[in-house]
This record gives sequence, C-alpha cells and structure tokens, in this order.
Amino acid sequence: MQQVFSIPKSMKKDFKYTFCPGCDHGVAIRLVAELLDEMNLRENTICSTSIGCSVFLYDFLDVDCVEAPHGRACASATGVKRARPDKFVFTYQGDGDFASIGLAESMHTALRGECVSAICINNTTYGMTGGQLGPTTIMGQVTTTSPYGRNREYYGYPIRVAEQIALCDGTAYSARVALDTIPHINQAKQALKKAFEVQLQGLGFGFVEILSSCPTNWHMTPQEAHIRVKEEMIPVFPLGVYKDITTEKGE
Amino acid sequence: MEKNFILAGFGGQGILLAGTILANSFMLEGKNVTWYPCYGAEMRGGTVNCEIVVSDSEVSSVHKQDTDYALVLNQQSFDKFVHRVKSGGTIISNSTLVAESRPRSDIEYVFAPMTQIANELGNSKVTNMAALGVLASVCDVVSKEYLAKGFEKVMAGKKKELLPLNIKALERGYGAHTQAK
Amino acid sequence: MAGSNEKVLIKGNYAIAQAAINAGCQCYFGYPITPQTEIGEYLSAQMPKLGRGYVCAESEIAAINMVLGAAATGVRAMTSSSSLAVALMQEALSYAASDELPIVLVNVMRVGPGLGYIYPAQGDYNQSVYGGGNGDYKIIVLAPATVQECIDFTYRAFYLAQKYRNPVILLADGLLGQMMEPAYFRENPYPEVDVSSWALTGAKNRDSRAIYSLGPDEKKQIQHIYNLFKKFEIIAENETSYEEFETEDADIILTAFGSMTRNIKAAMKVLRSKGIKAGCFRPITLSPFPNKRINELAGQGKDFLVVEMNMGQMFKDVKYSVGGQSRTGLVNRPVGEWLSVEEIVEAVENFMEKSYAASIQYS
Repeated sequence: MQQVFSIPKSMKKDFKYTFCPGCDHGVAIRLVAELLDEMNLRENTICSTSIGCSVFLYDFLDVDCVEAPHGRACASATGVKRARPDKFVFTYQGDGDFASIGLAESMHTALRGECVSAICINNTTYGMTGGQLGPTTIMGQVTTTSPYGRNREYYGYPIRVAEQIALCDGTAYSARVALDTIPHINQAKQALKKAFEVQLQGLGFGFVEILSSCPTNWHMTPQEAHIRVKEEMIPVFPLGVYKDITTEKGE
Repeated sequence: MEKNFILAGFGGQGILLAGTILANSFMLEGKNVTWYPCYGAEMRGGTVNCEIVVSDSEVSSVHKQDTDYALVLNQQSFDKFVHRVKSGGTIISNSTLVAESRPRSDIEYVFAPMTQIANELGNSKVTNMAALGVLASVCDVVSKEYLAKGFEKVMAGKKKELLPLNIKALERGYGAHTQAK
Repeated sequence: MAGSNEKVLIKGNYAIAQAAINAGCQCYFGYPITPQTEIGEYLSAQMPKLGRGYVCAESEIAAINMVLGAAATGVRAMTSSSSLAVALMQEALSYAASDELPIVLVNVMRVGPGLGYIYPAQGDYNQSVYGGGNGDYKIIVLAPATVQECIDFTYRAFYLAQKYRNPVILLADGLLGQMMEPAYFRENPYPEVDVSSWALTGAKNRDSRAIYSLGPDEKKQIQHIYNLFKKFEIIAENETSYEEFETEDADIILTAFGSMTRNIKAAMKVLRSKGIKAGCFRPITLSPFPNKRINELAGQGKDFLVVEMNMGQMFKDVKYSVGGQSRTGLVNRPVGEWLSVEEIVEAVENFMEKSYAASIQYS
C-alpha cells in the first residue's frame, strides 16, 4: 500500500498534542516542519521560542531550540544569528509576544535587517492566559478584559503587524496569511518559504503574520472560528504580501 | 609618600590629556598612580577636571575632596579649587587667565602665564604642557624628564610631529613662575 | 594586547573591554549608560575588526536577551550596564540561571535608587548577590578593586560562566570604570571549556536540544531547582575567594568589597602605626560569599567592621557569617566621596571604645 501521508521529519515522533481542538497552531507548526524538511534545514536550525501558547514548540519541533523570555524572541534570535551566522534562525511567536510586550525587539530586529525569520500567530487574543485583550484584538471584540467590547476610549486600536514590519527598511519580506481554507494554507506555506529564503539569501528580515483561530477563547466551534477568521479578521487584517524586495524593482 | 593633584580648566585646554601625561610620567617612574576624571553631566558647562594620586604604596582614595596640588588654567577653576587645597598645599594658576588673588593664607600660590607662553610658541594648544612644566618646577615628585617620556607614551604612534613643540612648552613652563605665600 | 608584561595606563572600562576580547568574547550586545559607556564604545571599534558580533541594542532588555541567545550556541557573550539598567535585566538573569546559560554581565555601579545619578556607589550588592529576578537562583559575583583586577576578573568571569554554566556578574563601580591605573594584559590563564555536550549548533548527527526553564512537571521542576543549588554548593566549594591581610593577630578586621578595599588597606596601616591591631578581609567572590572564613575568624574573637558605600548591604552577610561570636559594626555612606582613610580610622577607634556587643552604625 502506498503511504500518502506522514509526519514531517522535523516533527518529533512522540509528542503530546497540547493545543486545543480546532486551534490553527497545529497547522502552522506543521507547515514550518514541512518546509524545514523540504528546504533541508532541520540539522542547521536554531529556533528561538516564545511565551504563550507557542511555549511548547520544542515539544513538537525536532530542532535545536532556545527559550526566550516573553517578548524577547527576536532579541534572542539576533544573539543566535550574530554568534552563528551560518545557522538558520527563526522565531515562532504569538501576537502578544511579537507585537505587544516584544514590539520594540521585533521592530528593531526588522530595522537592523537581521537575517532571521519571524512568525507571528495573530488570533486577536491572549490564548494561554484565557482570552484577554491583546494588541490585535479588533474593535468591538469582547474579551475577558474588554467585557463591553474593544473601544477607542478605553483600549485604542489594534496593530496591523505585517504592514508595520513592511515599513522597516531592514525587512526583506513581510506578508499576512490565514489558515482558514486549503488555498489559504497553501499560500501560507509559500509565504513562510519566502520568509525563510530571504534569510538564507542574506537579504534581511523575513516576516509572516498568520491569522489563526482560537475556538476556545472565542467560545466557538472550530468551524465557527474559521468563519470568524474570514468574516471578521481578514477585513481588518487584509491578506497579502506587504513587502518583498526580491520582486520590487530597484530594491 | 602619597600626593594628590587636581588639574582643572575649561574644555579644549587639554586638561584630561595633561592629567594623562602626568599619570603616565609617574607610571614610567615606577610609582603607583591613579587618574580619575570628572565625567558625564559634570562635564557639561565647560569646566573639566581630573584627579591624580601618586603613591609609593597602593593608592587608597582615588577621589578626594582635598588635594596637595591644584593646577588651574582658568578663573572658574581657581575659584572652585582654591578651597579644596589642603592647608599647606599649593595652587598653581595660569596667570594669563586667572587674576592674582590670595583668598587663603594657609596655602602657597604660584602664578605663571601659561597661555601666554603657549601663544609665544605659536600654538595655544600647548598651554597644558607649559602648565606641566610649571608644575614640575614647583613640585618635587614631578619630573620634567618623565613628563616628556609620558608625553611620548601617550602620543605613541600618533602626531609625532607635535613632540618638539610640546617639549619646548614644557621647558618654557619650567621655572616661569612667581611664588608667594 | 594580550600576553604582555608591559604596564599601560588604562581606564577600568577599557580594561574590561579589552580583557573580554582576550578572553574570547565572541559577541557583545549593549546599550549606553554612564559610567560604563566606554565598554560598548571600545568594543564597537574592535569587534568588527575581529569578525566578532556587536549590536547596539535597542534596550538593556534586548541586549541581555541577545546575550542569552548567543550564549545558548556555546560562544562567549557578554553585556555591560549600570545599576538601574541592570535592574531591567533581572528577568533575563533569572532565565539564564535556570537555563544554565553561561552569560557574563558587567555592572559598573552608580548611585540609586531610581534614576539616582552617575556618581559611583556600591548599592547593587543586594541586586547582584540576591538578585532582582524571580524564583530561587544564584549568580556568581566577582568584585574587582583595581584596574588590574578588572582585567583578571573578566578572564575569570568568562571561564567560570562556562565551567559551571552559570551567569556571572562582574561588579565594578563608577570609580573603577572611569579611573586609569597602570595594569597589564597577561595571557588569559584559564583553559577552554568544552561546550559540545549542550550548545545549540543544529541537530546534526545528534538528537535535537532545547534550552528552556519552563517547568510544568512539578517533580522535574523541584529536582531542577535542587540541582541548581547543588551545583552552587560545588561552586562555593571550589571558587569562593577572598583576600585577607594581617588578620592573624588582629583584634578588629576591616571588611569591604570592590574598590573600597583600597581604603581599608590604607586605614589598616594607619591603625597599626597607632598600635591598634587591625586586619583586612576582602571578599573577592560576593557570591559565593566567604562566610566560612569569616565565621572562623569571628570564632577567634575578632570583631568585624564593614566599610561600604551603601546603607549596609554586605554588612548583613558579614553579620550573619559572624553568627554572634563577636561584634559586627558598619561604617558607611550611601553615595559621595569614598569613605576616607581618616574616616575609617576614626570609626574603628569609636567602635573599639564601645564595650557593648551590639552592632553599631556610623554614617
């Protein structure tokens, strides 16, 4: 019988799945693992992990990992890359880690054009702590710390991360993708590949923001959660490539 | 033997460099020495100073309120440091820019036209070397020969062409003073 | 500038920076703060020439986390800062201790609390020895007293960090950082440390590795903390270091750390010339603290007078070590001109006149 599906080599064989049913982290990590296999990077990779739901990453990925304190994954990745410029270095962070507590580190790593790749999972909430308002919580969204919905008076506005990172001169690639449909998942993989390639080519900072579902904290079924990604998130956080210096003329 | 020196003046008079040359001269003589600058925001506003301690044994207090010798190149420094000279100590002033006055009776006053000497040599930037020359002539523990060696050490590899002029300033400063109680 | 016996007149900050290069520091990450900025300035000029890593970090928080990342790959890495900005690094120090990452942090102390000012002070004894980070962890703390020791202890800091996989703080102060003194750059006397068993270099021909402090498994977490403390017992056994002068016949032992050591040594001489049997004890490692030796000396009936530029931070450790066997006194000032030889001598004379066995404080 022909085997048509297998776990990527870059995934551990004996992991215990710690994400909630219907969470898109599993898909995102699988895409990363597939690319590490396909691009033959596993043995040369050092991953800077983060705090939040992504904290257990080293239980899934069979690559060298160093844990960074909350928000500091890009700083830690900078240290790894400066120490070992020949290694493939990436971060895997949530939106709270990348764009709230770690915004300074993230932005400056992009501004320095650090040759690392960063992945930011945007699910519009702090998942690990049970669904609080985060930097990407959209206007009107109810969370445990915005019980009347996000409004300007108390909370101000969410950040559009991919657009902000694209504004940094050191960024080689910045894109926003989603995982709500098969075509979107395929596009996401292409974007991640590009973010990895610009690092390997020494062009600068590679970034992908991944719109992701959080059925548990959104109090939805997985299907409803993916409908929310499509109907509520994508209109606020449009998908697309915001910067790609490999295709721009004159860059 | 342990002696303290404060060198002070305004920015551009080469105070920190003079202190470095003096400290190097002590090091080359085989003595223990420390050099400590005013730093950071203290330097804003124009006046600069550094403290040098020379000792036969290990230097203890690197930074002290009072001093055996104060070498001051401008009026503000005179006004400030005349009160920090130990009783029986000496203040050596650049009379080109410091008015002769003797506000205390328990210290020695030395005046020498350091800037004028430098100007006569054609370069006001050697005021600091003229000042060191004056210091060497009034202070037993400071050696003119080692000051010259200290200058060479500090300037090693750079600006060699400045050596003759600076040595000339050192020589001209030596003994170019009037002294009074 | 390595392996030379020729003395050079050099600033403490530059001495530390050059010593770090000699010690094989591959990466420096830092953010400016007086009175230690020269360290970063010096290394920004030297590291690119040597093909080594240098980043002007966006903050002290970023800087030390870059150090964590670099150190995880097995290279020697350091940052430097001063007091209030070292406070920003405490979280990462706690991580580094738990992650067993060999990082070197240079703290050139200035006065606090809060913004304080740029004057030298010794108010970070507690921050360094007891840590401002969360949880139970220990850091190796070395306190130089001279510019020469700034060089020698920097070598030792890098060695100890890797030997024990433990963060090391080199605790200097603004006086040492800014002053110049003759010193020479001996060859780094410490051997290379093999990091191949744990360093992250990519999972090639071996299992993948993860360096983390996350401890959801309670039993494992308990064991992890016990292991860290057992390791520190070994560090204490092997690495506790101190200097003592004329303690043998002393009735009173002056105790200080860092650059204040210079003043107590001079005060001791003056006291001896006055017929007072004074000695000096100077911890070199503030952590591990030489409490056994102090306890031993106190057991011989010798009194201790702690001299420090803070409100009595090391005093508590000395008093604890003395264990009530003899008297412990404190002469201190929180900031300003270092306590002079004359002030110390006067304090000793006052202290010796008091017949009661309670600790007293002069300020």
